[in-house]
Amino acid sequence: MIIKAEKFYSLSDLWKNIKKLPQKRKYICGGTDIAVSLKYGSLDIDCLIDISDVKELSLIKKEKNNIFIGAGVKISEFENSEIIKKYVPSLYESLKYYASPTIRNIATLGGNLANASPCADGVLALLASRAKVILNLYGKKRVLEIKDVFVGPKKTSIKKDELIEGFLVPIWSHKSVFLKSIPRKIFGISKAGLCVCADIKNRAVMDISVAASSVGPVVLRCSKTETFLKGKEINDKTVEDSYKIIKTEVSPINDHRSVAEYRKEIIGVFLKRALLTLK
Amino acid sequence: MKNYLLRCKINGEKFEGLIDPNMRLIDFLREEVGLKGTKEGCGEGECGACMVLLDGKAVNSCLVMAFSVSGKEIITIEGIDKPKYGKKLKKSFKKNAAVQCGFCTPGFIITAAAFLEEKPNATEEEIKEALSGNICRCTGYDMIIKAVDEAKK
Repeated sequence: MIIKAEKFYSLSDLWKNIKKLPQKRKYICGGTDIAVSLKYGSLDIDCLIDISDVKELSLIKKEKNNIFIGAGVKISEFENSEIIKKYVPSLYESLKYYASPTIRNIATLGGNLANASPCADGVLALLASRAKVILNLYGKKRVLEIKDVFVGPKKTSIKKDELIEGFLVPIWSHKSVFLKSIPRKIFGISKAGLCVCADIKNRAVMDISVAASSVGPVVLRCSKTETFLKGKEINDKTVEDSYKIIKTEVSPINDHRSVAEYRKEIIGVFLKRALLTLK
Repeated sequence: MKNYLLRCKINGEKFEGLIDPNMRLIDFLREEVGLKGTKEGCGEGECGACMVLLDGKAVNSCLVMAFSVSGKEIITIEGIDKPKYGKKLKKSFKKNAAVQCGFCTPGFIITAAAFLEEKPNATEEEIKEALSGNICRCTGYDMIIKAVDEAKK
């Protein structure tokens, strides 16, 4: 039961006032997951703090070696961002499959990570792009790898009152492919998802990162597959071998959305498709 | 308990009053303001029947908390004559028999109104994609897509 709600527009105002709020408080940055959880009574909180219009969280900017993406930027804003299109192609490629166009007008990457769902599309794109997370607690920042924040299904290492301020995506030469298996053509929660970011020149893999969703307790990087592919030439054999390797790296389960066997197989098939597209 | 002071604009009129912080935007519009044109279908963002315009963008009002719309402008189906394509869409839905039971219609018209303003020369494929978050269980989609396509002319 929410007994108190508060909306802030700047971090300084937030830090000044947050400690006066009821103890079981939670940030809301969009709300597409929280509103549903509240409807079903599955959230034990008594205070909501809306940070979706905090100005520091609403920016996309190019820094020297990174792109900063604020945690509160609406997913639909990426569609018209030249910076995202050029430097974070994984996120740009994900948009077509990212929820529905109207949910994209509400949802944010900060919310997507905080919700810590193994099927999170935004986290999948960020992980493949090698993004880091900026956390902020009362003005003190720390920068962590996504894997150190997203530690289990619906579990994060984020401390009480700590907020996700944004993401730092390194600038590196690459293209990206985002693939997702869903029950509808372009809208739905994934049965399995794969995102590959790679720098491939004349079929030679200079650098690559591979991330997969809905095939494990968290959205994960497939490091064995990456190590295998780095420095190799994309040909029938390497594609076939990497298809076998990635299937050993994922640990999907059977649930109401799909079955483990299918999920494992489709991740392998997606990797083949991604490599043949990027070569 | 009504303890959040909400200030916003609804269909061109200012609203100022205390609301329950547990309320979603759809509950607020239907129960507090009495605008029953916005429908709750699934309550999970899948069906789009609850669509409203929030600062000109189509959003599922079952996924937004009411207090979060502080300072923003909301247009519901009752205020649809205001957006550029609102009246045209109403006419076109009628003409093309794009309405059967009518439960999903406010949602479709709201989504289409925001979309056409953004992309007045949209192709059929783009219209389909824009409406992908709205579900109709009666008519099939042909008439709905035709209605939106005609409204842009």
